Amino acid sequence: MAASKLEQRKRDARAIAVTGTASFLGQNLLGLLEEDASVDRVVAIDVKQPPSGKKTRFYDVDLTQPAAEARLAEILAAERVDSLVHLAFHASPTHAAAYAHELESVGTMHLLVAARQARVRKVVAGSLTLLYGAHPSNPNFIAEHQPLRATKREPFFADKIEAESEIARFGERSEGTLVTVLRVAPILGPTVSNFLTRYLSRRAVMTMMGFDPLLQFVHEIDAIAAFKLAVDRDVPGTFNIASSGVLPLSTVIKLAGRVAVPIPHPIAEPLNALAWVAQIAPAPSTFLPYLRFLCVADCARARDVMGFRAAYTTREALTDFVGAQRLRDVKLLQEA
Amino acid sequence: MDPKTKSAKKNSAKRATVKTAPAAKRTPTAKSAPAAKSEPVAKDAPIAAKRAPVAKRAAAKRASKPVESAPPPVESAPPIEPADVAEEIRALEEKLDRIIASPAVESAHREENAAPAPPSRASDAPAEEETVFDTARELLSTDFYLRRWGQAAMRNRSEEVDDFGYDPTYEARVRPLFDFLYTRYFRVECRGVENVPASGRCMLVANHSGTIPFDGPMLKTAVKREHAQKRDVRWLAEDFVFHFPFLGSFETRIGAVRACQENAERLLRHETLVAVFPEGTKGIGKLFRERYQLQRFGRGGFVRLALRTQTPIVPVAIVGAEETNPMLMRLESIAKPLGIPYVPVTPTFPLLGPLGLLPAPTKWKILFGEPIPMTASPESETDELLVARVAERVRGEIQRMLDSAVKGRKSVLFG
Repeated sequence: MAASKLEQRKRDARAIAVTGTASFLGQNLLGLLEEDASVDRVVAIDVKQPPSGKKTRFYDVDLTQPAAEARLAEILAAERVDSLVHLAFHASPTHAAAYAHELESVGTMHLLVAARQARVRKVVAGSLTLLYGAHPSNPNFIAEHQPLRATKREPFFADKIEAESEIARFGERSEGTLVTVLRVAPILGPTVSNFLTRYLSRRAVMTMMGFDPLLQFVHEIDAIAAFKLAVDRDVPGTFNIASSGVLPLSTVIKLAGRVAVPIPHPIAEPLNALAWVAQIAPAPSTFLPYLRFLCVADCARARDVMGFRAAYTTREALTDFVGAQRLRDVKLLQEA
Repeated sequence: MDPKTKSAKKNSAKRATVKTAPAAKRTPTAKSAPAAKSEPVAKDAPIAAKRAPVAKRAAAKRASKPVESAPPPVESAPPIEPADVAEEIRALEEKLDRIIASPAVESAHREENAAPAPPSRASDAPAEEETVFDTARELLSTDFYLRRWGQAAMRNRSEEVDDFGYDPTYEARVRPLFDFLYTRYFRVECRGVENVPASGRCMLVANHSGTIPFDGPMLKTAVKREHAQKRDVRWLAEDFVFHFPFLGSFETRIGAVRACQENAERLLRHETLVAVFPEGTKGIGKLFRERYQLQRFGRGGFVRLALRTQTPIVPVAIVGAEETNPMLMRLESIAKPLGIPYVPVTPTFPLLGPLGLLPAPTKWKILFGEPIPMTASPESETDELLVARVAERVRGEIQRMLDSAVKGRKSVLFG
């Protein structure tokens, strides 16, 4: 009797591996898992040491290295990892496009091969609703089955789309492994830092003259909670994670206390390209369509199937960010 | 009662009226520079939370010392610490206000003069020129203008929009224009509006025309004005509208939605009244000689949608719109690079420039037909034959209404 109980506990004992623990989502998810009593071990995989925790075991693995595959398989098997959360993605476009490609596209491949070898029970991967692309022909709410139409010219999107298709292929091939992909809307909140927060922290914000698209965000807490939910519940499939409600860009800028500088879009493109090269723009010109056209995700599936309910609306997420940003503006809050 | 205590009393009762305190000018105290400087800060204090950056900054500056001593923000508890800081600032502000409120402490402060920022009240308000300088400084700061610009950007806008970007404040702002077009310009005659159900989902299917389509907004205005329940109509607009600067965002704000199955279905599931123009760009691209001849109704998508969502269809005939911008020719080759379906050539258009696009003041009639209920099962949307038959029936009904209305009309301009 006692033996079977022990056996039971051993089987219940959950070991969860998280890649990209230095990222915003990874770091916070690590904290949540650390506090969760039902989790026995958290395996942190990154090139940067995460804040130490009682359950956390850190492995310094560079996903871009060819040898990473064997090493990862070893780690996953040795730690008897039950669920793998893949968050090693850039949250903002980077100038180091070659490295980003190695990390996101090739790194995902390495990781999935290792996951297959180690027979991981579940893989949860992060993605973005931005990958749907901003097009005038988008429906107002894009459901999960719609194709990812973000421009492939932009490595930031191309790498993530490649990674997603690799994950989808992995899901089809490896039976017995649950694959959950969470496409997260642009994250806003008091502590997160990404291209969007940088865009909204300028005093004067570039907009496209004559365009006022509807925007959708997700609060950082909701985004983290969604990943925790995906770890806790077995819900295979792809889900859009976003707050309810939309706001026009003009209202967003107003609420953020910024000034919109409308620029005709044919001029804006080369201007922004220059600014991006000079490293003063928060994002390359391939992001400008998001200032013109809709890219709003429908999160009905996450609500109905996964049971995810965003605690913050888009507006509340924005105002929460703005509250912290005001303090940062006057140097009352230090940049994380 | 001496003037000083009088003013103090008044002050504690009504903080906002600091400037009007009678004793303000007469009191010879507080001419010193630091006290004078603190004046605007004190004024801002009670409403600091509501004010835009400048007030915030002032409040923050004041509170910066105590907050620095507080533990630095910790990454692991993201949502709490900014709120904490705000809480602390508020607590400090309250404390300061309490200290200031007691006159004894106030005078003590004044004597010491070393207090970091003794926010002065009305009784020891500085001379007037200081306030003038402050105003001037505010007027000269870029912040002031940036703030004004920001406020101007939202003056006609709602704080919230619905899922499809409809902005009630903005719509109310432009409604007089549409009302004018409806009553005076096109002198719309509306018949059979009672066929539109009082509540619940419903689809208005109408003919589309007029090069620059005014029929969507006019149909909306008609139902809003004439219908007993004053229902709101959302109409589905062609894709190309949303390519355009200004036009796309304008249409979105006044209630247009991009025409696609997903959007229409979402609207209908929310029990909305949806206007559909199945002719689409083919309809507004009709040449003058093709007027009042319905083009093909797409691929019957609207019927499939109606069957799927069990939505009754009300056929609508709009007479008069087809003559507003009589199109003689379509230029399609130069339209492609501009992202529009065609460049119209009307008797006035390229000739008179943009002015040539003004619609002719024709007399309009909007006729609502009997509702056609969709009683077939939702699965029948895959039944091609049924879809085609229903589409043809709706099309025939609208064509019949159009024909009889056009026949009974004596003049295009006067009806």
